[in-house]
Amino acid sequence: MFLPNVLAASSLVSVQPGLIFWTLVTFVIVFFVLKAKAWGPILQLVEEREKQISAAIESAKRERAEAEKLLADQKTAISEARRQAAEETRRNQQEMEKFREELMAKSRKEAEELKLSARREIDEQKTKAIAEVRAMAVDLAMDVAGKLIGERMDDSKHRALAEQFVKGLPLSGSGNAGVRRSA
Amino acid sequence: MRKAMVLFASLFVATAWASESGGHGEGSEPSVPDYILHHVADTNDFELEVPLSQPIHLGAIPPLRIGSCEPVMTDHGLVAPTGWPGLMAGCLDLSITKHTVMMWLAALLLLATIFIWSSRDKTKLVPRGTGANLIEMLVLFVRDEMAIKNIGKEDGPRYVPYLLTAFFFILFMNLLGLVPWMATATGNLAVTCGLALCTFFVTQAAGIRSAGLGGYLKHLTGGVHWSLWIIMIPVEILGLISKPFALTMRLFANMLAGHIVLFFLIGLIFILGHPAVAVVSVPFAFAIYLLELFVAFVQAYVFTLLSALFIGMAVATGHHHDDHGHADDHGHGHSELGGSHDHGKAHA
Repeated sequence: MFLPNVLAASSLVSVQPGLIFWTLVTFVIVFFVLKAKAWGPILQLVEEREKQISAAIESAKRERAEAEKLLADQKTAISEARRQAAEETRRNQQEMEKFREELMAKSRKEAEELKLSARREIDEQKTKAIAEVRAMAVDLAMDVAGKLIGERMDDSKHRALAEQFVKGLPLSGSGNAGVRRSA
Repeated sequence: MRKAMVLFASLFVATAWASESGGHGEGSEPSVPDYILHHVADTNDFELEVPLSQPIHLGAIPPLRIGSCEPVMTDHGLVAPTGWPGLMAGCLDLSITKHTVMMWLAALLLLATIFIWSSRDKTKLVPRGTGANLIEMLVLFVRDEMAIKNIGKEDGPRYVPYLLTAFFFILFMNLLGLVPWMATATGNLAVTCGLALCTFFVTQAAGIRSAGLGGYLKHLTGGVHWSLWIIMIPVEILGLISKPFALTMRLFANMLAGHIVLFFLIGLIFILGHPAVAVVSVPFAFAIYLLELFVAFVQAYVFTLLSALFIGMAVATGHHHDDHGHADDHGHGHSELGGSHDHGKAHA
C-alpha cells in the first residue's frame, strides 16, 4: 500500500515524546496559574453575583408580596370603615325616624288630650250654659206666665211645672220646632 | 470526518508529488508539496518565510537531551537517538522545536489576555468592560453548557477550571496558527496527544474519586463473571484508550487539514504556473482562512465538550451504586404505599 508508506515517511504523523512532555508541563503550569489567578476569582465573582441577583429577586418578590398584602389590608380597612360609616348613618336615620315618630305620637297624644279637655270644658260650659239658660227660661216663663195671669208664680208648685216644661224643650237648634210644636 | 479525508488525500498527493519531484535533483527549487509539508512539519530549525523569495534562516535551537544519549550508528551515519526509539534506549529528547515555541507563545498570550481582560474591580458586582464580559461569557458557557450539563450540578463545578484551561489553551494555539509566520501547535500529533493525555488523567481521576479505587477497578471488569475478565478487561481498557485517541486524532487532523488545504489553494498558482489561477485560488484560500477561524473555535469547543462528556461518564460510574440505592428506596416507598392501600381495604 502506498498510504502507510506516505504516513511512515512523513514527519507529520511522528509523535515526539519530548513534545508530549513539554505539552503536559506547559498545560499543567498554565492550568495551575489560571486556576489560582483567573478561573477561581472569576467563578467566585460570577457565583457571588448570581447569589446577589437571586437574593435581590427574592427580596423584591417578598417585598412586593408584602406591599400587596398591605394594600389588601388597607383596602379591607377602607371598606370596613365605609361599611361602618354606612351602618352608622343608617342607624342614625333609624333613630331619627324613631325619634320623630315618638315626637309625633307624643304631640298627637297631647293634642288629643288638649282636644279632650277642651271638649270637656266645652261640655261643662255647655251644660252650665244650658242649666243657666234653663233657669233663665224658667224664670222668664214664670215671669211671662205671672204677667199673663196677673199673679206672681213663685211657689214651688209652679216652678216645678215650668221646669217640667223647659225640660221637654229640645236642647239644640231643633228647639224651635219643639217650641213651635209645643206652642 | 470530511476534514480527515481531505487531510489524507492531501498527504497522499503531497508525498506523491514530493517523491516525484525528488528525482529532479538537489539543485532545483522545492516543489509546492515539499514546501507545504516543510511548513506544517515540526523542526528545531527556525526560518522566516519571505514572499517570493527564499526563507531567511533564523538559526536553530540546539537539541536538548536527557539520559544516555550516546550517538549511535545508523544508515545516515552517527546520529543521536531521538523519538520513541531514543526513549527506549534511555534518552529523552526534549529539544525545543517550532511547535514547542508556538505552544509557549500561545500559553503566554493566553495568560496575558486573561490577566489583562479579567482584571476588574472585584468589589463591584456589576459587569463592566467588553473583555471581562467576553471572558465571563465563555467561562459561564463552559460551566453551564459543558460542565454542569455533562457532569452534573454536584461534580460539574469541580472540573470547570480544567475544562476552561483546555478550551482557552487549544483556542489560542489554534488561532496563533492562523497568524502569518506562526505555526499551529495543535497541528502536531504530539501536542494533541499531550492534551488528550491530560483529559485521560483527569477522567481516570474523576472515576476513582467518584467510585473509589475499588469501584474504579471493578468497573474495569465490566461487572461480569470472573471467567470472562480475560475478555472484558482488554475491552474496557481499549475503551479507555480510544477516547483520548479520538481526541488526539480529531484535533490534529482538523487543524492540519485546514492549513494544508489553504496552502494547496495558494500553491495551485505555482503548480499550474499561471498567475490567472490566482483569481480563483485566492478567494478560495480566503474563504478557507475564514473557515479555519471558525474551525479554531469549533475544535477547541469540541475537545472541551468531549472532555466534559468523558469526565461525566467516569463520574456516572461512581454514582451507579447510589442510583441502585435510590431504586431500592423507591421500591420501599411503593411497598409502603401498597401496604397502606391494603390497610384502607381492610378498613373498608
